[in-house]
Amino acid sequence: MVKERSPWLQAVLLLLLILGAFVSIIPFLFMVSHSLKTIAETITRSSAIPFDPKFWPRVPQWSNYRVAWQEARFGLYFRNSVIITAITVGGIVFTSSLSAYAFAKLRFVGRDLIFTILLSTLMIPQTVLLIPNFIIVAKLGWIDRLPALTVPFLASAFHIFLLRQFFSQIPNELIEVAKIDGATHLRSLISIVLPLSKAPIFTVVFLSFIYTWNLLQWPLVVTQTPRWRPITVGLSMFITEAGPETHLRMAGAVIAVLPVITVYFIAQRQFTEAITRSGLKE
Amino acid sequence: MPRQRVSLQPRRSGRRARAASENLTGYLFIFPSVLLISVFGIFPVFFTLYVSLHKWRIKRGRFIGLANYREMFGSPLYLLLVIAALACIALAVYLIGRARGKRGSLSAGSGVFLLVIGLAALALLLPYLARAGDKGMFTSLRVTVWYSLGTVPVQLALGLLLASFLYQKIPAKQVFRVIYLLPYIVPSVASAAVFERLFSLKPESFANQVLALFGRPPAQWLLEPKGIFFLLSGERMAVVSESVIADYWLSWAQGPSLALVSIMFFNWWVFVGYNALIYTNGLSNIPRQLYEAAEVDGAGKLAVFFKITLPMLSPTTYFLTLLGIIGTFKAFAHIYVLRHPAARGEVDPMSVQIFFTFFRKSRFGYAAALSLLLFAIVLVLTLVQRRIMKERVHYG
Repeated sequence: MVKERSPWLQAVLLLLLILGAFVSIIPFLFMVSHSLKTIAETITRSSAIPFDPKFWPRVPQWSNYRVAWQEARFGLYFRNSVIITAITVGGIVFTSSLSAYAFAKLRFVGRDLIFTILLSTLMIPQTVLLIPNFIIVAKLGWIDRLPALTVPFLASAFHIFLLRQFFSQIPNELIEVAKIDGATHLRSLISIVLPLSKAPIFTVVFLSFIYTWNLLQWPLVVTQTPRWRPITVGLSMFITEAGPETHLRMAGAVIAVLPVITVYFIAQRQFTEAITRSGLKE
Repeated sequence: MPRQRVSLQPRRSGRRARAASENLTGYLFIFPSVLLISVFGIFPVFFTLYVSLHKWRIKRGRFIGLANYREMFGSPLYLLLVIAALACIALAVYLIGRARGKRGSLSAGSGVFLLVIGLAALALLLPYLARAGDKGMFTSLRVTVWYSLGTVPVQLALGLLLASFLYQKIPAKQVFRVIYLLPYIVPSVASAAVFERLFSLKPESFANQVLALFGRPPAQWLLEPKGIFFLLSGERMAVVSESVIADYWLSWAQGPSLALVSIMFFNWWVFVGYNALIYTNGLSNIPRQLYEAAEVDGAGKLAVFFKITLPMLSPTTYFLTLLGIIGTFKAFAHIYVLRHPAARGEVDPMSVQIFFTFFRKSRFGYAAALSLLLFAIVLVLTLVQRRIMKERVHYG
């Protein structure tokens, strides 16, 4: 398929690709430029085309971010999101690597049956779990508290599956040798399997980080005050309830997007690989 | 003999002890995951069923059996007839699919016959079922179907187009890949917040500026509950007839609301790049020899595309199609942000309808019944997909 092409065709292809990239990026530029406008500018001086000077603020209002961070409480929501995401990602790596090791390397009664049952839960849509889980969490007295936002997400069949695929390829001999040296399974998981599995562990971290950070429906249901509200919920309430404060909304959106984009750019190659290989869950 | 037994004893019990300890380690290792997934992933499915059989408004009320399901569908008779019609159509599609290639076979003829019967029955019965059942649910089903039809084919077509560009020898390939995936990874609440501005009803919003380029007056976009075909026809397709059947199908003919179409733009923006990346993966898995053989045979570019590329990509296409359709049944965050009360529910697919039944109206029991219907639909789609995949993978 790849053949010598006329330079014209090459140029047209490239131009179309650049156009596509431009469409992907414009909304982000809009987010940034409008977060730096005055409230009057967002109403009277607005455009959606970056080549139009009206797209940009006359004088960037950096103070918008201070207002969003403090008065609109995006600082608190941001902090909550960081805590929730850190706990969840840590928990998923912990529970998934233990289980994946057991399913890949240990023999115990009912192993394959249990694994199949866990996998089949992937077919259940989140909407089905929403109502019963809300009732369970309410019964446990967790509404508006941190466990409601983290505990239900600390284990994931999807990530167990992902890691097990990789762990199975690690030769059993390595573990046998360690066992002769008197190592327990926990030891060989920590000192043999995990060091060999940096790439899949990174994949688990990235995917669960994005999934948790972006989650809206569940935290919307289990938070009633700003105490543990994550940034997605804070932002959505700001949009559906507040008035015409476009500049603060956009500042909030930038704050919500920034961590994801930062991590994405740092580890872009692993990210694009991981997502093309497995896809996010939602 | 006794000596032998004695000598075997320690080894055997040692092995048994080791097996027992491996069993124990295994259970210990999986315990945290199994506990959490059982409590928050498996038990809830049965608990939903239990909830759906009760009158349940925040607190559990009395047991009401299938009353919630009756409210959904109104009449059990119509429901059974509609399911029969659907089964008839499914059987027909199966027969036609099996007979494909075998010209003039008997099963193809009976397949077409069954298809006509099934479609006619559906066309006549569905309106009565919709009238007897829950209006909100049937609207949300219609919205979900429109949303699938309006998003999945576009995602696939544009995704494949971009992928075929991206697959060529071009500079800075990774930069494009990174940028195309960007809309997919950011929180959709944040990006939808931008689209809420781009498709606002103000004359200077992006969508209205585009209309102005074509000399058209500004539109309501996200606030417009009227169907686009209805709007394009100059609002001449109004529902005036007295017939239940004509009324019902006219509501379909009016098309998805302009508000829903605005949301489709967001969906395209998010998923085209993702699909392009998956397709590039699929393209690179096609063996080069196939193209070389086609070249030797002197096949044209179009023939190569339709006879080699497209069939070889069919597993990817099936995967993305199912993912897209199921995605519309799960769609939540962006619609939650982009829905406006003025659009009067004409943008709410099933997942959103269920959420509001549960969260705003606090009708836990009824929402649970609705969610099980959604589960059933998604399950059927998944199983159909599995089947097709199985046949295709052997074939390809």
